[in-house]
Amino acid sequence: MNTLEQIQENLVAGNANKVTELTNQALSEGAAAAMILDDAMIVGMKVIGDRFKAGQAFIPEMLIAARAMTAGLTILEPLLADSGVKAKGTIFVGTVQGDLHDIGKNLAAIMFKGAGYKVVDLGVNVSSAKFIDKAKEIEPDFIGISALLTTTMVNMEGIIKDLKAAGVKAKVIIGGAPVTAEYAKSIGADLYAASAADGVEAVASA
Amino acid sequence: MAKIQLQPSGVVLEVPEGTDLRDCLFEHGLEFPCGGTGACRGCLIRVNEGYLPITKSDISNLDDEEINDGWRLACQASVQGDLTLELPSITMDILSDVHMVTNITSDAGLGIAIDIGTTTLAAQLVERSSLNVLGTATALNPQGRFGADLMSRLDHALKSKKNSNTMARLIQDELYELIIKVLPKGRESELERITLVGNTAMHHLFAGLSVQSLAQFPFNPASLDSADFRSRDLGWNNIGNPTVSMLPNMGGFVGSDILAGILATGMHESLEQVALLDLGTNGEMVVGNRDGLICASAAAGPAFEGAGIGMGMSAVTGAVSEVFLENKEVRVHVLGGGSPRGICGSGLVDAVALGLDMGIIEHDGRLQAGDDWVLAAPLKLTQRDIREVQLAKGAIGAGLRLLLKEAKLEMSDLKAVYLAGAFGNYIHADKAQRMGLLECSAEQIFPVGNSALRGAKLALRAKSESELQSIRAMTSHIELATVPGFQDSFAAAMFFKDSRDLFNS
Repeated sequence: MNTLEQIQENLVAGNANKVTELTNQALSEGAAAAMILDDAMIVGMKVIGDRFKAGQAFIPEMLIAARAMTAGLTILEPLLADSGVKAKGTIFVGTVQGDLHDIGKNLAAIMFKGAGYKVVDLGVNVSSAKFIDKAKEIEPDFIGISALLTTTMVNMEGIIKDLKAAGVKAKVIIGGAPVTAEYAKSIGADLYAASAADGVEAVASA
Repeated sequence: MAKIQLQPSGVVLEVPEGTDLRDCLFEHGLEFPCGGTGACRGCLIRVNEGYLPITKSDISNLDDEEINDGWRLACQASVQGDLTLELPSITMDILSDVHMVTNITSDAGLGIAIDIGTTTLAAQLVERSSLNVLGTATALNPQGRFGADLMSRLDHALKSKKNSNTMARLIQDELYELIIKVLPKGRESELERITLVGNTAMHHLFAGLSVQSLAQFPFNPASLDSADFRSRDLGWNNIGNPTVSMLPNMGGFVGSDILAGILATGMHESLEQVALLDLGTNGEMVVGNRDGLICASAAAGPAFEGAGIGMGMSAVTGAVSEVFLENKEVRVHVLGGGSPRGICGSGLVDAVALGLDMGIIEHDGRLQAGDDWVLAAPLKLTQRDIREVQLAKGAIGAGLRLLLKEAKLEMSDLKAVYLAGAFGNYIHADKAQRMGLLECSAEQIFPVGNSALRGAKLALRAKSESELQSIRAMTSHIELATVPGFQDSFAAAMFFKDSRDLFNS
């Protein structure tokens, strides 16, 4: 098994220390940062994402895999920036105003990162104003909003309206336990993700 | 008007055509675990005569064979003409309280204590001086038709003022029915006081308070205080004019049921460190001793009450309540005999524990057998069901771990873990330990029954008022989701083994 395959395997298993060690090893062996990202990490996150969708992996496995990827990315990010590798796009993620639940949002963020997007995490309880201010500063391609509660999901509608009124051009993708495709459509969201792992596909096909 | 005959009860209803079945069948025991959104199979009924159109929810939740056999989901259906419907028979055993109280006080007259559970209601009539129980009555919470979990209820109440008024009216009317049931004719004038306990949402929905702030971060109740009335203010006539007090809340979703539970178990006077877990539809917990108490609620969801599980149901006739191994074969116990219709909380915990023992369920929750595990045809558990159990287990496990951490205690420091409510009485503690739901030893576990109802009875006495005040003053409430490390604790507790090391960062 070569080093890139080992990175992928340890990322899927959520072994952060090993991923750090192997990423450094791959670099010293002469692998380019972009290659480590594309051929080891993105592949690994796709494996765990597919397992999640198939019910073969669950939230804890996703979180530890994400942590392992973050460990590797920390090493790669400055190198990627130096070599002028461009992200596929920029995505904001945030949990809707009134809601504190961030596991779904964090998982979505890591899947986007794992697929090569630049992710800006605005945190939880995010208001329209916060999305809009940041969008004026950075101009994202997508804005992802998550909600876990039926009682807070309804706040998404106002945020989408406010974003449009403020002239923010980014496509809005929403998700979370109570959110359905019909609901997303009814409040004018551009995209919908049934789970954290589905977000990448939705964004890629937009 | 259309006639609906219900089987096996034989009850005949007359309702206008176009009436939604969920509006007329709930009071006859049919449950709507998902709030009637068509997301589960909890309200399955069978059309034996007459015509009930097939809905979209029927198609997505039932297979062709079931539909051809006349099975439908009641929640999405409305009456088109005369019908004969088969309903699962209901023999729910609601937990009341049989503990005796020994000391006699000078409190005069009669009192009624009522526990307003999210799912069930229990009322007891007592002599205030001795707290001797003279009568008990139970019922389902009529707000159940708007969803099994608290958030669905709040969501419904928030949609319109009319909705919240209806919900208040429904619960007030049902409570009045219970009062009439337990109060013997001719003794109405002796009724001095009625105490009510429940979580904060039940408090607000009963008292007609706004649940707006409770539904959103930071999840603050509109009021922490007791809601006090004279019975006549509530339209409760012909029962004298007793004081009616819905006891005060503790904070967040933790309400007077926990306040009453503390009073009943004497945690506030305990020298030793103890914990109280009330694992109902909303999981609530308290840790500490006479030097101070900390409480929190954990949104475990209703998985252990059978909701959110594909074939989950309440502990009523047809529910599998036990799953065990006999001669190397998986056996089940079906409440009321017959073939299994679904599985209730105790059966679910048994099944998961057994699945782990047999290697059918992995420690990370994966089902080895593939997508389904057939326990006793047609009853099966799916991978999704196991994931629901993991979410519930994660919420409870993380809640208790964080509360202990906040109190600077270890699980082993607890002299007693009091298990309140139906969960503590019906769930098999050894199986709950096997699946890691209770991370303490058997010697620490003490089922305490309906401690909320017992506390409500104690609160019928005049002297309890100052005691309740001091419990409130010594108990702090924490909002678990805001505690740093919640996400990691939650995820770690989702495994069916100790996995804290994976998340130590």
